[in-house]
Amino acid sequence: MGSSAVLLVEDNDINRDMLTRRLTRAGLTVLTAADGVSALNMMREHQPGVVLMDMTLPILDGWEATQQAKADSAISEIPIIALTAHAMAADKARAIEAGCSEYETKPIDFPILLAKIYQFLEGADT
Amino acid sequence: MITARLGLRARLYLASGSILMLFAFNVATHLWGSYARSESVMAYRIATEATGLVRGIQQGLSTEHQRVQVLAALRETNAPIRATQRDQANAELASISDQLRALGGLSDVQTETAFREFYKVASDLLDEWVQFYRNYNNSALPTRLTANAYDATIDSLRTLADQQNAVALERSTVIDNTIQLTDRITIIAFVSSITITLVLILTLIRTTNASLFRLRVGVERFGAGDLTHRIDENRDAGEIANLAQTFNEMSASLQTAMSDLNEARADAEAANEAKSMFLANVSHELRTPLNAIIGYSEMLQDELGDGEDIDRDQFHHDLTTIIFSGRQLLALINDILDLSKIETGKMSVSVEPFNVAGLVVQVCDALSPLLAQNNNRLELHVDGAQDLEVESDPAKVQQILTNLFSNACKFTKNGVITVAADIRDNQIQLSVTDSGIGMTEEQQAKVFQAFVQADSKTSVNYGGTGLGLAIVSNFCDMLGGTIALTSSPGEGSRFEVSLPAAPM
Repeated sequence: MGSSAVLLVEDNDINRDMLTRRLTRAGLTVLTAADGVSALNMMREHQPGVVLMDMTLPILDGWEATQQAKADSAISEIPIIALTAHAMAADKARAIEAGCSEYETKPIDFPILLAKIYQFLEGADT
Repeated sequence: MITARLGLRARLYLASGSILMLFAFNVATHLWGSYARSESVMAYRIATEATGLVRGIQQGLSTEHQRVQVLAALRETNAPIRATQRDQANAELASISDQLRALGGLSDVQTETAFREFYKVASDLLDEWVQFYRNYNNSALPTRLTANAYDATIDSLRTLADQQNAVALERSTVIDNTIQLTDRITIIAFVSSITITLVLILTLIRTTNASLFRLRVGVERFGAGDLTHRIDENRDAGEIANLAQTFNEMSASLQTAMSDLNEARADAEAANEAKSMFLANVSHELRTPLNAIIGYSEMLQDELGDGEDIDRDQFHHDLTTIIFSGRQLLALINDILDLSKIETGKMSVSVEPFNVAGLVVQVCDALSPLLAQNNNRLELHVDGAQDLEVESDPAKVQQILTNLFSNACKFTKNGVITVAADIRDNQIQLSVTDSGIGMTEEQQAKVFQAFVQADSKTSVNYGGTGLGLAIVSNFCDMLGGTIALTSSPGEGSRFEVSLPAAPM
């Protein structure tokens, strides 16, 4: 563990493109996946430092993918930040319950997201 | 208990009737006893009178017999008797004869034979004595006296008296027994009347109490909210059964009212739940395009602020994305407003006559830029609806067609879109067929639900809000029609709408 890469899981092309570019501009290495299954594969293969997980995903949704990640000892330590347009209090609770370490709603407040990403990446380094 | 099945009034009638009957029975036995007593007194009086007569007759006969004996002995000395003496003797004989008749009046069936026998011998004896006195002074005439006639008469009288005594004794025994019997019956009847009356009253109190207790328990259970409970109506009759039935009916109507109320509450809760779901979905849907708008705008602002050279093509592309997302947001807001109107029942239907063929052509014309965008070709079949006016809501039919047609344009590239309108069996038949990407069965099942697109990538690749088909489906319902979908992946989709051509 300890890769400084960020894995962005997002099925919406526009939002994935936008966030990839902004994270890259901020100096981060960004990996992308568009569904839950490829997200799990990418996590196992690349061991990213943090995962940004959209919840509404095709094939395997974000909650399910998070649960499976937490159940897999090879990748269970990787922190997952939920990124979702589901903004109700119950949605946050549901994300945390699934195993997400943090929760951010869309539209994304980029500086706060960035701060959280760095917090996890630095936490892994020390 | 029999009384338990009777009504309250019937129980009271039964109890008072029984008591009255017992009372009447007591009075009757008492009257019977009094009658027996007066009979007894009467019989005693008759017996006493008869005994007196018998004694008088016996006395008279004996006196007369001695006198006749003496006179018979004196006649041989030829001593005549005086006329007064003879008259007195005749009067005495007549008196005896009266007494005989009086005795006859006291005799009854049992002593009649004995009396007749006695009367015959006594009359003969008296006749003989009358004859004796009449012939006494005339020595030429005989004064024959039958020997033993007197003794026979006295014997006969004794026999009669014995018989009369025996009869009187027998009668008095019977009467005594009757009096004893009636006395006993009176006492027994009195005691049993009291007992039966007490038992009846106690039973009446107990059964009525039990009935009222059942009612009270039932009403208490109703009061405690157990409306499924029913008071057993069959254990009573009359007023109490009616009361039980009324309580049961009350409980049943309360139960119905409660279940209506619960249903209404469940409906209200479901509506509230649906509203919350709707709000959550709206929030989710609005945030997705806003995320792109804000994200791209901030990114472009950052890029401008860097002072680096700007890639004009990339910049243009990013602005296009912002505009696309903004338009999508607008379309979404419009659709949400429509759907909200539908769901709150504020969307009204305004029916007016219009020409379907004309409407179809108008819609297809207006959307021709959309058709051209993906290089699609339009086929129109509206001949069947050309000259006919229908009555429906043209604005809603127009939106149905617009939504279906723009969907077809979005999901088809370099293909054919066929729009057909016809009027058959008083139904407007509209169909929009495309040769586009089509849908799997799983996708078809969800496509008419609000906030659902066949694929979550759809809105990015094809635009749209995921509300268009939900609105179409709702409008079809509101107009009293139906919508059907046939589709297979890669081969295209066909939406068929059928609406009544006149208000139902």
